[in-house]
Amino acid sequence: MIEARGLGIKFVKQRRRKLRLRELVIHLGRKASSKDEFWALRDVSFQIRPGEAVGVIGRNGSGKSTLLRLIAGVMTPDEGDVTCHQQVAPLLQVGAGFSGDLTGRENVQLVGALYGLDPAHLKRKLPQIIEFAEIGDFIDMPVRHYSSGMKVRLGFAITAQLHHPVLLVDEALAVGDKDFRAKCYREMERMRSEGRTLVLVSHRESDLTRFCTRGLFLEKGRLVVDGTLDEALGTYQQGARA
Amino acid sequence: MVQRDLTIKYQQSVLGYFWSLLEPLAMAGVYWFVFGVLYGTRVGPDNGSYPLFLVSGLFAWLWVNSTIGEATKALTSQAQIIKTIRLPREVYPIGRVLARFAEYLAGLPVIALFVALYNGHVGWSLLSLPLALLLQASFLLGFALLVAPLNVMMRDIERISRLLQRILFYAAPVIYPLSLVDGSNLPGWVKTLYHANPLVGVFQLHHAAWYPSEFPSPTLLVTSALGCFALLILGWWSFRRLEPAVLKEL
Repeated sequence: MIEARGLGIKFVKQRRRKLRLRELVIHLGRKASSKDEFWALRDVSFQIRPGEAVGVIGRNGSGKSTLLRLIAGVMTPDEGDVTCHQQVAPLLQVGAGFSGDLTGRENVQLVGALYGLDPAHLKRKLPQIIEFAEIGDFIDMPVRHYSSGMKVRLGFAITAQLHHPVLLVDEALAVGDKDFRAKCYREMERMRSEGRTLVLVSHRESDLTRFCTRGLFLEKGRLVVDGTLDEALGTYQQGARA
Repeated sequence: MVQRDLTIKYQQSVLGYFWSLLEPLAMAGVYWFVFGVLYGTRVGPDNGSYPLFLVSGLFAWLWVNSTIGEATKALTSQAQIIKTIRLPREVYPIGRVLARFAEYLAGLPVIALFVALYNGHVGWSLLSLPLALLLQASFLLGFALLVAPLNVMMRDIERISRLLQRILFYAAPVIYPLSLVDGSNLPGWVKTLYHANPLVGVFQLHHAAWYPSEFPSPTLLVTSALGCFALLILGWWSFRRLEPAVLKEL
């Protein structure tokens, strides 16, 4: 179960985010004033039961990806907290964690190990991964020379081997050609049917209606609708029309 | 993590691991030529075993040097992975320190070879080597944990570290014996300042493994140990403090 209680995170705007040493010395001790900050998310509370498929909807900049990162634990909130009682798979994103100088094969080994997969298990599954990613002999070429499509396919192929009960997907399905997308859909549906929890961020209505039963609609960092997917989509479209 | 780091570093070079041996050896060769040959026997131990003295210092120095160089980038260069996989973030800087330590270990046979060639003292003094490594590890871990997140906020840290590499090299008895500093006519406060550097004691211990007479005085040993552990605690504390902000910036 994923549980968020009064979740909030703030960022600093205006000022260039990367401090220069010079500025640090000059403005030593002066805190950023409150108008320089904005809350990317605030007062967000919800519960997701195991096996649920939740779509997160909202306009650009409404805090969807930030929410996913908070659930994944790769960011820490400034307010409230989020707990997750099951293992969360790494965020599914484009080309996550590949290093360009290594071949596809080495990357599969290393990234897989980082994801917590057993090396022996990974070795057995390698043909299947290559098959799925449609990469063929290119598996022994440095990833640097891969096309972006190849990287995405390989990344997804590895993720498909994960057995974490919670999956977080951030618009990763938007890439890849039509055939590969169809394949990803099949794979996602397989994972869904295994009773895994899914949190999906997407702008594509078709993706959302395909997988999700529940919808969270975010607006300016606030959780506006927490209901069925249709309710959330309805509010989203109303807002878009208005 | 360590394995990943080493694989990436060595997979494209023909000589692979031998680079981690060649580099300190080449440096030792240069310093031996300049100070051992050109300046005569004014530096180094009396029995003409200056090469062993150099090697025992330089292999350990390279661990310091490469860690300082890489620790700053430990988080910035891994931003992609940090943003996708939930791992304790300390892993990244600590992994760098350990990977460079593995290289040091790979060099131990070479040091042993020099000990054999130049009749280094072998005996109880060997125990100062693990002590040196312990203090050094604590110093480097503290340093890495301190600068890795700072560099995310201020890229200046990278440059400062590079400067620090140079300064520390000459500010610790790596290629010259400590007695040269103590016996010099520097003002007292400069010597005190010099001795405050925790690495002074660490390198004295490294040399002491083969030259028991180099074993640091109790005061030096205590200062060094306190400095190393203080840095470790400071690094750990600041890493905890900066972690949330760093995650936002990456």
